[in-house]
Amino acid sequence: MSETPSTPPPAHAGDSSVEVLEDAAPAPNGAYPRPDSFSGVWPPEVIEEIQEKAALGRYQIRGQATKRRGLPSFDDLVFVPAGLSRMPLEGYREKCDTQVVIGEGNCENPLVLERPIMIAGMSFGALSVHAKRALGMAASRCGISTCTGEGGMHHEERRYSDKLVMQYLPSRYGMNPYDLKKADMIEIGAGQGAKPGTGGVLLGLKMSDEVAEMRDLPEGVDQRSPCRHPDWMGADDLYMKLEEIREVTEYKVPISIKVGAARIGNDVRIAAKAGVDAIVFDGMEGGTAASPTIQLDHAGIPTVAAIAEASEALADMGKKDTMKIIVGGGIRNGADAAKCIALGADVVYLGTAPIIAMGCHKPIYLEDYARLGTSPYECQHCHTGLCPVGITTQLPKLMERLDVDEAADSVTNYLNALTMEIQLFARACGKNRVSDLDPNDLRALTYDVSLMTGVDMVGLGGRTPWWKKF
Amino acid sequence: MANSAPLTIDCAGRATRAINEEIRRAADDGVPEVELLNPQARHNLGVSVLKPIHVVYRGHVGSFTAGLCDGITAEVHGTCGWGVADNLMSGEVVVHGNAATSAAPSIRGGRVVVCGDAGPRSGMILKKGELIVGGNTGYMSGFMMQNGRMIVCGDADTGLGDSMYQGVIFLGGQAKELGSGLEEVDAENGELDEVAALLDRFEIKAPAKFRKLQSDRKLWHFNKHDFAAWKDVL
Repeated sequence: MSETPSTPPPAHAGDSSVEVLEDAAPAPNGAYPRPDSFSGVWPPEVIEEIQEKAALGRYQIRGQATKRRGLPSFDDLVFVPAGLSRMPLEGYREKCDTQVVIGEGNCENPLVLERPIMIAGMSFGALSVHAKRALGMAASRCGISTCTGEGGMHHEERRYSDKLVMQYLPSRYGMNPYDLKKADMIEIGAGQGAKPGTGGVLLGLKMSDEVAEMRDLPEGVDQRSPCRHPDWMGADDLYMKLEEIREVTEYKVPISIKVGAARIGNDVRIAAKAGVDAIVFDGMEGGTAASPTIQLDHAGIPTVAAIAEASEALADMGKKDTMKIIVGGGIRNGADAAKCIALGADVVYLGTAPIIAMGCHKPIYLEDYARLGTSPYECQHCHTGLCPVGITTQLPKLMERLDVDEAADSVTNYLNALTMEIQLFARACGKNRVSDLDPNDLRALTYDVSLMTGVDMVGLGGRTPWWKKF
Repeated sequence: MANSAPLTIDCAGRATRAINEEIRRAADDGVPEVELLNPQARHNLGVSVLKPIHVVYRGHVGSFTAGLCDGITAEVHGTCGWGVADNLMSGEVVVHGNAATSAAPSIRGGRVVVCGDAGPRSGMILKKGELIVGGNTGYMSGFMMQNGRMIVCGDADTGLGDSMYQGVIFLGGQAKELGSGLEEVDAENGELDEVAALLDRFEIKAPAKFRKLQSDRKLWHFNKHDFAAWKDVL
């Protein structure tokens, strides 16, 4: 077995050769039958995991998101639309407003989103420039924003994104005052749901000459980003840092702060006190281009639980009307998004879903999936830089596989469908503004989600949940 | 038309935003120098000045002094709070006193000089440019340096240069502990003379000798046979 079965052998991204795929050793997963006689304690996937660590000598790294099943989820909630007690709105006739404004009254140019959706931060480096361009085109058509992610602001992304959020992260890759001034919102990054408490990872094959130059790193190096900002450590320092960024951007654009959902109630309180315009967080289902697998599966809290805790904290701080909540992590469709909003979110933050919409997991180039030891629908090999469909790669031959116009159309279609689904639930609940959805529009199917969200159990009711206090 | 008259701003009783706007306007108008009186350890003074101007701080300053600037020169006659010259793009910032934690974080060019001591995390993720510390520096200085040069005339606390990718550190005194992934190499011909001349320019007494430290590049890629180096940094 090679040194790093899940990490391809060192190669220069600039080699522009697909042959490097052939050097990647196939991983063994999926190679066995799964009879009932396998141990419940030591099933094949656990044995494979141990075997891989025995070969690698380090923890496993992979992309996409946790594979855990059985987490508390949005599926544990259902809407209770209008009946006799409320009147629904006509789905095809009556307007249902979707606009959200971030930073209103606190900066010169608030960020106006035509829909309660933002494209999550995904770096140039993690994604190809073609993928970034397609996301920018689709987001611009939909009146929503994209986000630079960690690698700095690529000029193509700025060109194609009408509304662009720039992340200000511990690594400060590509950071400069000029790009900060070009941004429509600044997002101070302090963590992500896929790996809260750790820094970014970008393995060497994706560190092309252009990516390396933007990040001031050597070409081909395995990048490990710092997890902590170099110059602020806590709540009081955040206030000073916030003032510095407002000075750079001349108080023109809103500033948010992003964390991975963990101690989210306290984080929201600190962010609210510091005076940000929005808090962004993703739950443990949040996506990534590369994370330690063990971290994906065992750190952070589920998105559905995090929203309730964050909403309560923000209401407790008296800022529910002025500071926005932007939520990501495993949001798949309009039902998930509408449930987020009903629980207190203002905007949903989508990363993985638009990537899938543009072609991730598409059943084409099957032989290249096979070379990675995987197949469509189970591939989580973003970290390798050998993305068969050309999205999470920096190899020119693979990048060419993504048709930018087609990808932009697909993402636009998906975002349109998602928006219609959100409106569908709002209208069905008798709301002419999506933002009017509230926890009373929901019921919980399970006791645990009822307990963690305060949403009444189906068929029960009458108790006083937290939001009724405010 | 350039305005050649220096400007004096008394910071007392004025909002930081208004002070910074006046400095930026002065730089735009070609004013060669602005003197700030009574900074009173205020944070964020002189942030995001992007045209050449010389800024003189008469007194102690707070955090992020001269942060995210490009092309300025500055002198601080007092001590500095956290993150002095944060993300400097080009130019030169000289502190005639001590600097608190995180001096010159992530600078991408230019030079930052702390004539006294610097706190922990000095020169953290330094990308390009140079940080000179006339005295001692705290723990984790030069952590994850990506390039550039750090000159420390005194001693360094634990973790100096830990996990640095590229760049060099000249250390005049003792390090309590070197960080992971460092090696000591011989200075190139004339390199130490150039460092001595530079220190002389800032009236910093050069130590008797310097050790030159740089990345041994063992942490650039994971190697399971070198777990001892990686266990602390993965």
